[in-house]
Amino acid sequence: MKITDACIFPYPDGDSTVSRMAIEAGELGFDSLVVIGDAGHRLSSGVEILQGAIITARSIKEVLRDLRDPAVRRADLVCADAGDLSFNRALASTNEVNVISKIHATRQNAFDHVAARTAAERGVAVEISIAPLIHLRGMKRQQALNRYADILALHRRYGFMLTLSSAASSILDQRSVREIRGLCGLFGMTGAEVNEALSSVGRMIEPSGPVGAVR
Amino acid sequence: MRPRPPTMRTKRRYILARILPYGAAVDQKQLYLSVIEAAASLLGDAAVGLAQPAVVYCDAGYAVIRCRRGAERDIAAALATVTAVGDDRVSLRTVAASGTIRALRRRMRPIRPIPEDEEITIGERAYAVCRYPGQKVDLIEKGIKHQKRFFFSELDLEER
Repeated sequence: MKITDACIFPYPDGDSTVSRMAIEAGELGFDSLVVIGDAGHRLSSGVEILQGAIITARSIKEVLRDLRDPAVRRADLVCADAGDLSFNRALASTNEVNVISKIHATRQNAFDHVAARTAAERGVAVEISIAPLIHLRGMKRQQALNRYADILALHRRYGFMLTLSSAASSILDQRSVREIRGLCGLFGMTGAEVNEALSSVGRMIEPSGPVGAVR
Repeated sequence: MRPRPPTMRTKRRYILARILPYGAAVDQKQLYLSVIEAAASLLGDAAVGLAQPAVVYCDAGYAVIRCRRGAERDIAAALATVTAVGDDRVSLRTVAASGTIRALRRRMRPIRPIPEDEEITIGERAYAVCRYPGQKVDLIEKGIKHQKRFFFSELDLEER
């Protein structure tokens, strides 16, 4: 089981470099990191560095166009920002998209049971970012907690994958596995569910299946 | 006034948190205000009132936060949401929780910079180099206050 932080934004987007964030991630209990931007080395301080890409689009046509971009095609993990209901349903049925991100910023019911069932069938995950829980205050954080509780209920019913990310652009935004467990407990996620969500990127990249005979 | 008998006293727990970035000068009262603001915002006034959080120690890159027994998980979650103390960006990393401060003192490992006078330029700005154990390098902008910080590693400096 590989514990992965599913999204970080290192220097020059943030103030910390990939290798420094990898050192900190290793100390915080992570085995791998998904880096948005230039990942550089594949292994740093014993922490595996995976290349990620984020697609921010308004329509599914734009998403399909962005998926042809060479930088996106090279990425180990492709995330797409969530939008309205029909857009999210289309994203959930797009095979090249691995993760639907920024679900906390969408309207209530923007990710419904139909999208959840499709995501489970196609192996598309939904990202839970702890950044809104850390940085937002008041009504915005209450909305994020509400959205995450709703996603968790759908996950328990339909069984699609969840990923957990810090969305950190600095080492000051990174949190340990124990702290993530405490923050996810705020919207009812159990320790076992947190562990499963933290290891889901590893399962997505290296899916387990029956061993095939090579002749 | 006679002190309460031990069985009648409130049971407490102490949480040890490491203060990041290294070398940040954090005032104990300012830290208390930040912790209370974060906890009240996350858990509500009623829960914080019952948890009775207080900062009992803040020095050498560590803080010890006291709370009522049973509330330590909630307070640890609230500590993860502290992002600033006063005007400075700060992060608190929970290290351990215990029933005595003495047990937490044994877990404290003061992290001191490796002394040197190196300087580096990024863009047009000069930064002082502070090296720490574990290949960590902090670049602190030269100035009087509100200096920008970058968090690098030895590998990054070698590649520059």
